[in-house]
Amino acid sequence: MNPNILSLFQLCDSNLPTGGFSHSYGLETYIQEGKVHDQATFAKWLHVYLNEQLIYSDGLASHLVYEALENNDFQKIWKLDRMLTVQSLPRETRDGTQRMGERMLSLVEALYDVPVLSEYRNRIKEKKSFGHSSIVFTIIGHHLGVPKSTTTLYYLYSAISSLIQNAVRAIPLGQTAGQKTIQEFQKELVKATEKIKDLDEADFGITSPGLELAQMKHERVNIRIFMS
Amino acid sequence: MENWTGTLRLDVEERQGKTVAKNVYFQGALKVMRPVYHDDSGQACYYILNPGGGYLDGDRYQLQFSLKEQAKLTLTTQSATKVYKTPNQHAYQETEFILKKGSYLEYIPDPLIMYRNARYKQKNVIRMEQGATLIYSDIITPGWSPDGKQFSYDQLQLMNEVYMDDELVMYDHIKLNPAVQDMKEIGFMEGYTHLGSMIVIGEQTNAELLDRLYQSMDHNEQEYKLGLSMLSVKGFTIRVLANKTQTIERIFTEYHQLISEEWFNTKPSFLRKY
Repeated sequence: MNPNILSLFQLCDSNLPTGGFSHSYGLETYIQEGKVHDQATFAKWLHVYLNEQLIYSDGLASHLVYEALENNDFQKIWKLDRMLTVQSLPRETRDGTQRMGERMLSLVEALYDVPVLSEYRNRIKEKKSFGHSSIVFTIIGHHLGVPKSTTTLYYLYSAISSLIQNAVRAIPLGQTAGQKTIQEFQKELVKATEKIKDLDEADFGITSPGLELAQMKHERVNIRIFMS
Repeated sequence: MENWTGTLRLDVEERQGKTVAKNVYFQGALKVMRPVYHDDSGQACYYILNPGGGYLDGDRYQLQFSLKEQAKLTLTTQSATKVYKTPNQHAYQETEFILKKGSYLEYIPDPLIMYRNARYKQKNVIRMEQGATLIYSDIITPGWSPDGKQFSYDQLQLMNEVYMDDELVMYDHIKLNPAVQDMKEIGFMEGYTHLGSMIVIGEQTNAELLDRLYQSMDHNEQEYKLGLSMLSVKGFTIRVLANKTQTIERIFTEYHQLISEEWFNTKPSFLRKY
């Protein structure tokens, strides 16, 4: 067993201070509209968010970045960083992922010495790149020798479990309902990871209209506890 | 694959205050009519035609429009784009727009109507120079079926890529699979039937304009739902979910007017369809 799996698992911890607790990716719009109000309606939204947006953005990016790292194709990583940023049309979501990416980068730089991370940092400083946690996470997964699909799966887990914790606070749901949702989604995450393996760059950035519109509308939601 | 069902190429330039064609070329099932000048602004308006009357199984269309410095162009279609059933191969259209510094493009096609069991893929690539202005819109309808069923088409994929000085600044990728997705559900069309998108890119963009555009609508969610957001460059996108083409057209026309007045102190012309 690869002991480094635990090291990557450290980055999935919801206590990791990257700011994930302050983003809902449009969920809050649905909560305000009363469309998401309990465990069942939340699980339905989360299913769509995972399968119709997250796998085509962060998920596919993780898969492709890992491949690029295996081929020492760094230009590809910078290209994906740009694509990840500009495919996100809702400003709050785009700015949010960028801020989280930067914070995660600063944090892991204190933990690991990986040349490509420093280059990423410099590119962001020079405004040549934007920063995204999926890319930072995948660089660490690759550095630790954790297999590609495990890295993608862990990344998706961290994104989804942090959203579930946010939903527990915001809807609100009971802690048990939150844990049940995490358990229920474990199978979904494995399926999503399998699906990502069959995607290629032509599938990048696919989103569905309702999800995106809710993310745009969040800018104008009256009472908000989340930044996106 | 170079077998195009229709190709169209139009290059325009500004000559003494008037936008004129430098080069027009079309072949197969695509053509443009002679330009219309709606007013004395010099802005040319071209209508794109599909003489075949619709896109068929495996059809492939390629269009290219290029605007030289200061050229002002309106592009529209003469009627809705219809995609008929595609049992073997999806229909495909790719369009490239090249906008030099100081040029202005309005692209306002009629809605897209997908017939039962149709599959269609569309790719727009917009290459702008700093200082060019773009107003783009499109409308997707729930399609047409002999039994009146909505969303009876199989798959629709729309891609918009915008490059500013050769750098990708916007990537918009919508894919609807009514054959396997439930369009009514949360996250998809959410009970609405029509989807409108508008992309506006121009250096005069600011947050106040977005506020004004948003506040100018009543947001009656029985009729439509609207979101708009700033891009990472000077520009923004608008998405509208609605139940009628006319609702989206009304919103986009009003927005187009507000933007034209604010940026150019002009009023957009009414696009007559014969």
